[in-house]
Amino acid sequence: MNDEPPLIELVDVSVRVRGEHLLTGVSMSVAPKSIHLIVGPNGAGKTTLLASLLALVVFDGQIIAHWRGSGEIGYVPQSFAVDPSLPVTVQDFLALTRQRRPVCLGLTASARRRVTELLHEVGLQGLERRPLSVLSGGELRRVLLAHALDPIPELLVLDEPASGLDEGGVRQLEELLQTLRSGGTTVLMVSHDLDQVRRIADHVTVLDRSIVTQGSAEEALALDRVLALLPSERNRRARG
Amino acid sequence: MNTFYGWVGALAASGWLPADFQYPFLTRGFLCVLILSPLLGGLSHLVVTRRMAFFSAALGQAAITGVAIGLLLGEPLNAPYGGMFGFCLLTTLGMVYVKRHSALPPDTLIGVFHALSLGLGLCLLVALARQFNVHQVESVLFGSLLTVTDADLLLLVGVAVIVAVLVFRQYNSLLLDSLSPPIATVAGAQSAFLEYLFAMILTLSIVVSLKVIGALLVEALVVVPAAAARNLAGSARSYFLWSITVAFLASAGGLGISTKLLVPTGGAVVLAATAIFFVTLAGSALLRRKQQQTGR
Repeated sequence: MNDEPPLIELVDVSVRVRGEHLLTGVSMSVAPKSIHLIVGPNGAGKTTLLASLLALVVFDGQIIAHWRGSGEIGYVPQSFAVDPSLPVTVQDFLALTRQRRPVCLGLTASARRRVTELLHEVGLQGLERRPLSVLSGGELRRVLLAHALDPIPELLVLDEPASGLDEGGVRQLEELLQTLRSGGTTVLMVSHDLDQVRRIADHVTVLDRSIVTQGSAEEALALDRVLALLPSERNRRARG
Repeated sequence: MNTFYGWVGALAASGWLPADFQYPFLTRGFLCVLILSPLLGGLSHLVVTRRMAFFSAALGQAAITGVAIGLLLGEPLNAPYGGMFGFCLLTTLGMVYVKRHSALPPDTLIGVFHALSLGLGLCLLVALARQFNVHQVESVLFGSLLTVTDADLLLLVGVAVIVAVLVFRQYNSLLLDSLSPPIATVAGAQSAFLEYLFAMILTLSIVVSLKVIGALLVEALVVVPAAAARNLAGSARSYFLWSITVAFLASAGGLGISTKLLVPTGGAVVLAATAIFFVTLAGSALLRRKQQQTGR
């Protein structure tokens, strides 16, 4: 952890949908240029927490951003369902926010170039003309990541980005996140993979509709009440 | 316009154009087709992508009620645009508002509005039958080239220009919002604004198309071209271009059929569009099979 003031502060954030409390009194801060992971069981409110931060849901409380640079946010959502008959290619999708000309009138040369570079960054070179609907889950995740990386965000928000990726893809993602952190990007990410949390997290928040604990990966994942919440961690320790 | 019709008529008389173009109403109808194809065909690929096919059907029904309201309020029989546009706009805003503020599935909510406008329309048409010969509104229900005037044509041109400007300015945001509203929102698009804007654009386009296509059938022209185009297209660009091409072929073909066989224009256009859809469906299935065989 560095000692700089936080990039993002959440103060007493609560979300209630149709009478049900999805999040209650969450206060936390995200340090700049860090990789901050959120873990918790299913239904713990992890995705809701990210949605609050991105103003995608109505919440009570305060979320304060102390931008130091561009204030750009990149986002990779947990789900992205593509209509199987939709004829939109990878380059069409990535060009949507990279050119002013309507994509239905064709791509500009600069958008084409940028799309090629982005696909190279996420290991999907050559897939420019492939329809989104025929991509595998892992390929689609990488396309979303490519979208989130341009322009280079000050805050990158990822909701289980490793799901659907093979082992090589996970390693590549982790290396990319560490490179981004070195370049000044702050990463806030939800993950179910506790080994991954141990490998890359600077800071961990354990959530179960409210905050269970926060700290470094070793500190946060060592507590018995965290163990009770996360079956995968329990099994890992049982295996020795 | 009369000079233009006279000039086209002369070309038809001298054999440069098909003989049917000697009639000004047919020339006017063909001009409508030239404008309607890019308007409705272009919109259709966004309608299908944004899953608004049922929404368009409900709007067509609302237009019938709008016609009845307009006529009861004293609008002229051949141009009840105030009632149509007013009621369709109210229905559109109501549908989008309730959809955004209710947890019920969109098709359920649209079904409620659909039933409401149809029920109201039927009651009003019965009331209307005491004042008018109800067959006089058939042209709005089924579409008729005979009732299209130069003023209707000019209105169509004006709306097409406005719609083209609005859609092209917001196209990329509209498509991104269709694919993933959260990603579009984080990228700076205003999802609510886009939803209301597109619904109003669709309403405007449907209302000005009614006299040619008809209220009962107009939704077909904002759904079928895109459905057929999906069988052929491999990118956003080709999807857009094929949608317009199918809309043009269906409209021009339908116009020809309705003139030759003396059937309502709207019905003929929709039959032509659905015929093209099934041809493209069969064609794409054959192509896929051939590709699979080649791949083996």
